[in-house]
Amino acid sequence: MLVYIHIPYCDSKCHYCSFNSYVDKFDTRSEYMKALCTQLSFELERFNTKEKQIKTLFIGGGTPSTVAAKLYKPIFELLKPYLQDDAEITTEANPNSATKKWLEGMKDLGVNRVSFGVQSFDRNKLKALGRAHSPHQAKDAIIYAKKIGFEHLSLDLIYNYQGDTKKLLFKDIEEAFNLPIDHISAYELTIENGTKFSSTPKVRQENEDLAFFVANEIRKRGFSHYEISNFGIYQSKHNKGYWKLENYIGAGAGAVGFLDDTRYYPQTNIEAYIHDPLKITKEHLSPDDLLTEKVFLGLRSTIGIQKSLLSDKMKKKAQILCKENKLNCDDIRYFNDNFFLSDELALYILD
Amino acid sequence: MAKTVPQENIRNFSIIAHIDHGKSTLADRIIQECGAVSDRQMSAQVMDTMDIEKERGITIKAQSVRLDYIKDGEHYILNLIDTPGHVDFSYEVSRSLASSDGALLIVDAAQGVEAQTIANVYIAIENDLELLPVVNKIDLPAADPDRVLTELEEAIGIDATEHNLVSAKTGIGVKELIDSIIERVPAPKGDANAPLKALIYDSWFDNYLGALALVRVFDGSIKKGQMAKVMGTKDEHQVLNLMYPNPIAPVKTDEIRTGEIGIVVMGLKTVDSLQVGDTITDAKNPTAEPIGGFEPAKPFVFAGIYPIETDKFEDLRDALNKLKLNDSSLSFEPESSMALGSGFRTGFLGMLHMEVVKERLEREFNLELIATAPTVVYRVKQTNGEEIEIQNPSELPEPQKIDTIYEPYVKATILTPQEYVGNLIKLLNDRRGIQIKMDYLNETRVLMEYDIPMNEIVMDFYDKLKSITKGYASFDYEPIGFRPGKLVKLDIRVAGEVVDSLSIIVPEEKARTRGLAFVAQLKELIPRQLFEVAIQASIGNNVIARSNVKSMGKNVTAKCYGGDITRKRKLLEKQKAGKKRMKSIGKVEVPQEAFMAVLKLES
Repeated sequence: MLVYIHIPYCDSKCHYCSFNSYVDKFDTRSEYMKALCTQLSFELERFNTKEKQIKTLFIGGGTPSTVAAKLYKPIFELLKPYLQDDAEITTEANPNSATKKWLEGMKDLGVNRVSFGVQSFDRNKLKALGRAHSPHQAKDAIIYAKKIGFEHLSLDLIYNYQGDTKKLLFKDIEEAFNLPIDHISAYELTIENGTKFSSTPKVRQENEDLAFFVANEIRKRGFSHYEISNFGIYQSKHNKGYWKLENYIGAGAGAVGFLDDTRYYPQTNIEAYIHDPLKITKEHLSPDDLLTEKVFLGLRSTIGIQKSLLSDKMKKKAQILCKENKLNCDDIRYFNDNFFLSDELALYILD
Repeated sequence: MAKTVPQENIRNFSIIAHIDHGKSTLADRIIQECGAVSDRQMSAQVMDTMDIEKERGITIKAQSVRLDYIKDGEHYILNLIDTPGHVDFSYEVSRSLASSDGALLIVDAAQGVEAQTIANVYIAIENDLELLPVVNKIDLPAADPDRVLTELEEAIGIDATEHNLVSAKTGIGVKELIDSIIERVPAPKGDANAPLKALIYDSWFDNYLGALALVRVFDGSIKKGQMAKVMGTKDEHQVLNLMYPNPIAPVKTDEIRTGEIGIVVMGLKTVDSLQVGDTITDAKNPTAEPIGGFEPAKPFVFAGIYPIETDKFEDLRDALNKLKLNDSSLSFEPESSMALGSGFRTGFLGMLHMEVVKERLEREFNLELIATAPTVVYRVKQTNGEEIEIQNPSELPEPQKIDTIYEPYVKATILTPQEYVGNLIKLLNDRRGIQIKMDYLNETRVLMEYDIPMNEIVMDFYDKLKSITKGYASFDYEPIGFRPGKLVKLDIRVAGEVVDSLSIIVPEEKARTRGLAFVAQLKELIPRQLFEVAIQASIGNNVIARSNVKSMGKNVTAKCYGGDITRKRKLLEKQKAGKKRMKSIGKVEVPQEAFMAVLKLES
């Protein structure tokens, strides 16, 4: 099983970001971290967690690097007995707040993978996206993280922003590959409700060519494309766990947990969460819901779909896709290698 | 119980007017002047009762009112017989006029005579009605009654010396108009002692009373309780109830006498048995001859109507059956289309009738429908000598089996300001029109008459005419029979398969242009999908236009981690629901708009 911990604090809000995070509630941090422990203890029991059963831990946000490393200590102490020896332990970090001290602190706690929110190495684009860091800070932070011994480093890039050109994105990818990373998450800009960009949806360009260009450039440099937005010589076990619908604990305001056929939603408001971290809403998933999820998640990644899961009608449609070279198959599963079409393929099969 | 008055004190009159010239307002004003409705009840136009009528400002079902009026101590009955306001319902108009003895000919003081007015005046003249020219809207700043009256004389050739000037809006001249009606409209003729002879000039369905007939009694009288015979169907029924029409509530009576109008209740389940134009007589002592001119309603335009959700077929059948209760001109039979599934080939009196029916089905019965391109009826003489009528382009025999195709023509009457004549001639030539007449009514207004294939006017002709004349031209038509035409069936193939519901019959010389335009339009309407979609237009096996919709490159949302999965699933389900509304042709999915594309084709 997997564990996700949500840190809902940020130095500044990026124009495209719809995650649950706040820029003005830093004084609640220590209370919040305590509440996290309360929820985690409860969840470990609910999930009937055994020793050495947790194979990945992911600290995301928000911006985990806005919370001092020492405040994470109780969480790690609580989780320690349940973590496998070779557990993948990732934290997200922003180049401006991931100071040397913070990186060292997290390393000492056992974090072995850092995912940096870089987005671009172009100063103007960073500014336009509302990012608080400079290209320089990003490079320095990654180089330092490698120096102090983090095993796996990843960075995020964004494409299909209005000013993006092949030239700009080519440069971003070149810069990324000059750094000691083993993973890139490259996201197409999406305009989400409630974000600053939602009032100017034109900041996103619909450019199929750029999407294929980015994917090709990254693959060309030796990273394998294992999910629509993810590439690496190392593939994140945590993320793959989501896409395989493995069980995961979701702790924190705005986190989501999943156990068998139920999703768990703690409160999103920080104060409300601190007040009652065990107030959790449930969403029940029907077998159809689960099948739908398995199909679309399988198609957007190298995971594929187990043939035995599909009804005869769905298999027939999948078979048509195979015949038309839109889908591949072997004896036990269907798999897709054009992730960009995955939603359309899912719709076709599920119809 | 209503008072009876002597036959010589009855006046039966209709109102003839173009849309928007103020017919309903004037009718309402006359009703009010006679005191049949209080001011408080006069909230909206009383005469137009259907929602669609109110919205579109046209009258679809004729309404009638019996009004009491005292003049110089003498009691008169004024029967106002309303007429439907659209060319599609010209048969109903003719029956309403046949029930009247006089007609008010309303012309807008600013706009003048329009095509529709002329068509209806001719029907009135055929029925020997006394015509009372009435210039309405004289309160408008642009009113020019003298010009309008001259126009009336020149366009129609009637004497307009005696006329009334009114403003239905303000009420000016309405009282004087009523006096003119009493003076000039002749009292009904007819023999009170002869056997009953009554003309059904309207019929409709009432949820409580069943099918009702609105009649004008020409001879004898109709009495409650008697056995009556409907001469067209030869059916005999007991007269259960009789009523005089009234805008607020019908007034019960035991007898409708010679010269009167009234509603006959016989407890029938559909209006089919009470068709407009038929004659009611006494079952025991029938009249010798029915009233002439009875023609069962005949549809001119056909279209396939299909539910978007295929499981709504039975609901559509129920809805059509319910509309049919009230509309004997509506005809339909099940048909199936490869692309659209099960639906009905439906016959209409004309384009407006089709629009109204479709709108009522959607609005009153909550159905979502696709209508195929409307088509006229063709007569096809085959090489084996056999002649068939086709209502659906897909029924057209193969070219080698066709000897001649005959298509229906209409006589189109158009009245237009002179500056648009050039545009109109071009449009009419494009539509294969043959000029019969072009008269300058005065220096600014022109009357044009054309013979034109009906096929050319069923789609976008009216909109086009309105747009090239900035809305100033008016148009009316009447069928004039069949003529041979050089016509071919244009098929559309999507992914190699002929889409039956998209086939159209077009003149041979236009086939290529139409095909190109059709294909180009479909290319815009069919979204990119997993597979490349080939779109072709063909005549038989001969492809005359082609295009491709490229296969889709990308459809995916970028981020999907643990917290996003539910949202993402819901998004996908929404997309899935959207796809359900598309129709599958082989492995291609075609949105419903594509089936309407032909309606938007420029000829």
